[in-house]
Amino acid sequence: MPDAPGGITCARVRVLMEAYVDGNLAADDPETAARVRAHISACDDCRRQHDQAISLPFRLRALRAPQPPESLVPNVMRAVTPRRDESRRAWELLIPEAALVAFIVWYLSGLDGLAREASSAVNDILGLFNWGAGSASLPAVPVADVFLLGALIALALTAAYHLSVLSHLAEVESSRQPTWGERRRA
Amino acid sequence: MSEASSPLAPRRRRLVWSLVIVGLSILGVLLALVNMSLDTPLLGPFSAAFVGPKLVGLHAQPLSGSDRFERDRTIQTLRLTSPFSPGPISPLQALRALLSNGAGLIFIALAVLVVFPTRARTAVQRLEARNGPAIALAAGVATLLLTLAALLLLRFTLVYLVLIPVLVAIAVAVALFGLACVALAIGRQLERRLRLGDAHPLVVSLAGTLIVFDLAVIPYAGVFALAALAVAGLGIAVVTRFGSETGWSFADLKW
Repeated sequence: MPDAPGGITCARVRVLMEAYVDGNLAADDPETAARVRAHISACDDCRRQHDQAISLPFRLRALRAPQPPESLVPNVMRAVTPRRDESRRAWELLIPEAALVAFIVWYLSGLDGLAREASSAVNDILGLFNWGAGSASLPAVPVADVFLLGALIALALTAAYHLSVLSHLAEVESSRQPTWGERRRA
Repeated sequence: MSEASSPLAPRRRRLVWSLVIVGLSILGVLLALVNMSLDTPLLGPFSAAFVGPKLVGLHAQPLSGSDRFERDRTIQTLRLTSPFSPGPISPLQALRALLSNGAGLIFIALAVLVVFPTRARTAVQRLEARNGPAIALAAGVATLLLTLAALLLLRFTLVYLVLIPVLVAIAVAVALFGLACVALAIGRQLERRLRLGDAHPLVVSLAGTLIVFDLAVIPYAGVFALAALAVAGLGIAVVTRFGSETGWSFADLKW
């Protein structure tokens, strides 16, 4: 085939074009790759085909699109759904705490009862110190009220859990946004 | 142009900051005067608790011939008519209140910065983060409730009754640390919003503390403002584990 540049026909070059562009032909058959290169340099039609083949959009179109998993759409929708406002989360746990405080105040017959409890606690402390000084008897332990003790323990546990949530929230919020000092330094 | 104005800039900044601090101090004195002049049955105890005892009456008229025994200075005999309630008030009393309560607060705030600079910075950074004030306030309320519950629970134990004053003292100390951090954060906000320029952190904290004090002596609302700031301070101190950089972490227990 004396009229074929590089000793290879255009039809054959078109067949080998993909392997040539990918570099596989040069690795498997260097001699044929050299002939294809010589043909492309001499043949305008094949050079145009080659230029098109190495362009990025063409190569992207040539790729096979994988089938998306069925969980793709739900996952994406879950990711783009606006998250619950974090500041609301900081206050929500105050609702059970407020309910427990209301129960305790009601159970102690209002704020006067709460004040009496506080006054009794102060008297007990003074009595304990005076007992240590030898001028008073040991204060008596108050009668354990199951409802009051339960409510106080529940309040303490709820408040402690609330604090742990808020501590975590504070860490997350401070890591999400640079502080004013960091912004100013930047 | 900036090179020409740069030597004047520090002097101008100092002047502006001085004016701000003097202005806040004067505002505090005036608010203290107004607060003391109010004599309502509801707010009397509040103003007396935060500003100081109210003037009880005029000095008795000196007897004739007893002038040489009069030891009061001129300002101590000065009385002003209150615009809000009948009866005279003493500006000296308001000044004394400002110098006692306000100076105590300023001393504590500056001492916190001097003794715990890194911890104060960590706490202020948390306050300045997104949702920082809301988190601090919520944490303060939760801490207050937890402390009250713990105090009442300790009453049911005989041995640990002695821990009640210790717990109260710790809560007050933590709240004061937090209040100092809140004051520094307010000072930094003032510096940023009014574009006052960089200043020494102690000056910024001084301005913030004066604002806190001015808020505290606002008639009627001051006690609530101070309570909110103190609760927020308590919360930010607890959330940051007294300003620790690592916060509440159990990483040290894993080895």
